[in-house]
Amino acid sequence: MSLSTLFDEIKDPKNRPDPYPLYARLAGHPVVRQEDGTYLVSSHAAIRALLFDPRISSADLPPAKSPPTGNPFKDWILQPIKDEIVSRHRPLIFRDPPDHDALRRIVMTQFTISRVNAMKARAEAHLGELLDKRCGAREICVVEDIAYPLPVTIICEMLGVPREDEPTFQGWATQLATALEPDARHDEETQGQTRATFDAISAYMKVLIKEKRRHPQDDMLSGLAAGTEAGAMGEFDLIATSILLLVAGHETTVNLIANGMLTLLRHPHELERLRQDAERAPRLVEEILRYEPPVHFRTRKALADIAIAGEVIPEGAPVVLLFAAANRDPARFAEPRRFDPDRPDNQHFSFGGSLHYCLGAPLARIEGEIALVTLARRLIDPRLVDDPPPYREGASLRGPKTLRLSVDRIA
Amino acid sequence: MRVVVDLNRCQAYAQCCYAAPESFELRGAEILVYDPAPTPEHRGRIERAVQACPVRAISVEFDDTIGTAS
Repeated sequence: MSLSTLFDEIKDPKNRPDPYPLYARLAGHPVVRQEDGTYLVSSHAAIRALLFDPRISSADLPPAKSPPTGNPFKDWILQPIKDEIVSRHRPLIFRDPPDHDALRRIVMTQFTISRVNAMKARAEAHLGELLDKRCGAREICVVEDIAYPLPVTIICEMLGVPREDEPTFQGWATQLATALEPDARHDEETQGQTRATFDAISAYMKVLIKEKRRHPQDDMLSGLAAGTEAGAMGEFDLIATSILLLVAGHETTVNLIANGMLTLLRHPHELERLRQDAERAPRLVEEILRYEPPVHFRTRKALADIAIAGEVIPEGAPVVLLFAAANRDPARFAEPRRFDPDRPDNQHFSFGGSLHYCLGAPLARIEGEIALVTLARRLIDPRLVDDPPPYREGASLRGPKTLRLSVDRIA
Repeated sequence: MRVVVDLNRCQAYAQCCYAAPESFELRGAEILVYDPAPTPEHRGRIERAVQACPVRAISVEFDDTIGTAS
């Protein structure tokens, strides 16, 4: 099979349980043109160079386009205006400087150290409740029982979304996350569902933001709605940002926890060491991030011809930064296929890099550490029911759909 | 414990400030100020900061084991 169709194979759900042999075939081919004109970038050095290259743009979404309704007033007047507004208020993950930087600075004033660190106690308490609920069970699903409910509670708390609305949020987050997959952008059915979800969540956020303005509380949305020392966001940016924080803070962390537990069960020695010494957690989490990243790749667009690694990426070409491949680049990591939490120089790309480096990384690390430490302590003699487990469809946001464990008991 | 940050490498990702706020502080958008000799009770948090740095700019020497993280 030729390397020029490798990205199709990577996206093929049948390769979800183990895409790593596909990535390994890219060794020695840091930049490969695909038949459809997309460029696949896989080496640590090339990804690093492109992440810091201003000729690479994150604004790679096609313009919004509502489906025709048959009503000429809607189709020719209302919808195009709405599409234009949506296209101009992308979340910052799909924006370039200077807009991106201005928005990010505003968000950072609210993503404070004290707020993030306050989530430690919150996450511990919530995990306790989740496990207590399963007390007496001989089987547990890490995804459904733990990895899914935890991050949604935490991000809702950070934002200031009322607890009773969490289940609704969970559904929205899942739907919007599927829209991040490259193929979903061209799939009409997914696009229709995404638009409906987007409308529902936007309407909800609008009301909530109004409420936060009237009765500000100590949470991110209240802060953003009131305006910050780094400036204020317009209404549309405010809504786009809150939706982004919800989705990004949720789906990715689910994968971190589920991939983490799966990896530990495949390396029981490390699980045992963690059980005995919680101080192992930071190193473990970093190595899990490198070895089984929650996000395998992100897409960009070339704004000019870019010469790199003997190739020229032409202006306008879609670019795939294959972070998960770079994380196992033998030129960067010794024995890359080995799971080794003690590697001294673990500079992975699992939070991306440069301007768009994951804003939520500190929160994700806290949630990952606390979840793994708690599971290691409280699950007595856990064993995988299916190995490999069934995977969710996403090739970029990749993780198990379910992760069933049989246990002696839950302590 | 001795902490050194390679300020040529540092890109102000601020991950250390979240991991060990009492030892690392970002002034303005990109000036990192840090405590080069934190007391032993900060060890866990310093280790977190070392692990969390996206550009591996932080090195630490513990008094018992030299150069466990680079």
